[in-house]
Amino acid sequence: MSSEPKPADDLAARPFDELVGELQRIVQALEAGNLPLEESIARYREALRLHAAAEGRLRAAELTISQLGRGLVEGAEEEPTPEG
Amino acid sequence: MSGEQATLWEGARAAPRILRVTDLNRRVRTLLDADLTLADVWVEGEVSQPTYPPSGHCFFTLKDAASQIRAVLFREELARATVRPEHGMQVICHGKVRAYEPQGVYQLYVESLTPAGAGDLHQQYEALRAKLGAEGLFEAARKRELPRWPRRIGVVTSPVGAVWRDIGNVMRRRYPIGELILSPSIVQGATAAGAIVRALQRLYADTTIDLVILARGGGSLEDLWSFNDERVVRAVASSPVPVVVGVGHESDVTLADFAADLRAPTPSAAAEQAVPDLAQLPGILARLRDRASVALLGRLAEGRRFLGAEARALAGLRPETAAARQRAADLLDRGHRALLTGAQRQQASLDGLADALRALSPTATLQRGYAIARLADGTIVRDPSQATVGQPLEVVVASGRLTTRVEDVTRDPEELL
Repeated sequence: MSSEPKPADDLAARPFDELVGELQRIVQALEAGNLPLEESIARYREALRLHAAAEGRLRAAELTISQLGRGLVEGAEEEPTPEG
Repeated sequence: MSGEQATLWEGARAAPRILRVTDLNRRVRTLLDADLTLADVWVEGEVSQPTYPPSGHCFFTLKDAASQIRAVLFREELARATVRPEHGMQVICHGKVRAYEPQGVYQLYVESLTPAGAGDLHQQYEALRAKLGAEGLFEAARKRELPRWPRRIGVVTSPVGAVWRDIGNVMRRRYPIGELILSPSIVQGATAAGAIVRALQRLYADTTIDLVILARGGGSLEDLWSFNDERVVRAVASSPVPVVVGVGHESDVTLADFAADLRAPTPSAAAEQAVPDLAQLPGILARLRDRASVALLGRLAEGRRFLGAEARALAGLRPETAAARQRAADLLDRGHRALLTGAQRQQASLDGLADALRALSPTATLQRGYAIARLADGTIVRDPSQATVGQPLEVVVASGRLTTRVEDVTRDPEELL
């Protein structure tokens, strides 16, 4: 048990779209119905984990903003407030 | 001649009015200030010896074959100008003539400056469009699909003003799981094209960025001109990742727009088209989870059928299958526990499951002859101990429901489930 990666950690590190993509793949595999029973149950548990992780991530999501080349705004004249 | 001089001299001596230099220059200045023509002039000439001192202003001489005038382009106007004055350049200046008192000179204060002959900006635009089009830069076949779930989105725009703020707001609303990386650039004036190209290249150098937005708010044709600059158009076309361009208003189409993988009518629209709207996602995720539950239920039902019929028959014939049967029963048990554990994560989950069954599987599962038994509160009955004698029970079958009452509760001694 201790050798297995901590579930929360391994999912937290993965990109959001991978979580959703994998959830979709698992659902499709389960729906295809040709997995051995044991495998089906394991996949189902994984689906629940993925769902919880994705949903939690979504709930906590806050847009990350950063800036490249800080101070590199050459000739930094402000444009007169443009109309969007 | 000498008589005339004497007269003047006599006159001056009669009332000598000795001005200070400052007064004289002020008088000249006042005179020029009062001239409405000089307050608003258009002058064509050749730029000579421009200087760019650290103040950020530009000083030059504007001349033609016979005459010259000193000219100054202040920092603010320089930033807005479509070209940077260079020696020998033929330009049309718009501005006013004023005296500069400290030095006793009059000069042209330039407010805007365009290359002479740039009246046909439109011709330049069409010529470049034809040239780059012939090279295939605008081909539809070159346009790439945007990533469905961009992770790191680079944005080239001005860090001040409404555009950057609007893009941030759209992203926050639609796609908060994303990451925005601003590569700031000035977006108008003579130096903008070079700055935009460098800002794009800074993003291209970062291989973790999977989408780029190039945006600028509305403005005059001159304001947007950098986006028709060949260097900018080529930089957009050469992007290693898809580029969304949103410049000006709906009606403004720049050459950078043509080179983009996706052209958006405005900066905000560029942000909206760059990312999916995640508002629907919690519902989509919940449905995926319910589909997984339904699928597993179906799988368990098959297992149960196997245990209940074939395996039992087999067991009678071949006692050695008893162990396998026990193992299968354990698996079914674990499966049900997994379903219940999952369901307990959210209060509504069992209902959700029932809904999902109704919505998704009446053909798949119910029509195969399975039924779902539910208590009055909607709980699905999985174990006889969930129900008591006399309790109403709703039995959902393929084409409807039966309202029933529990008459007897028996746990199948052979069936573990």
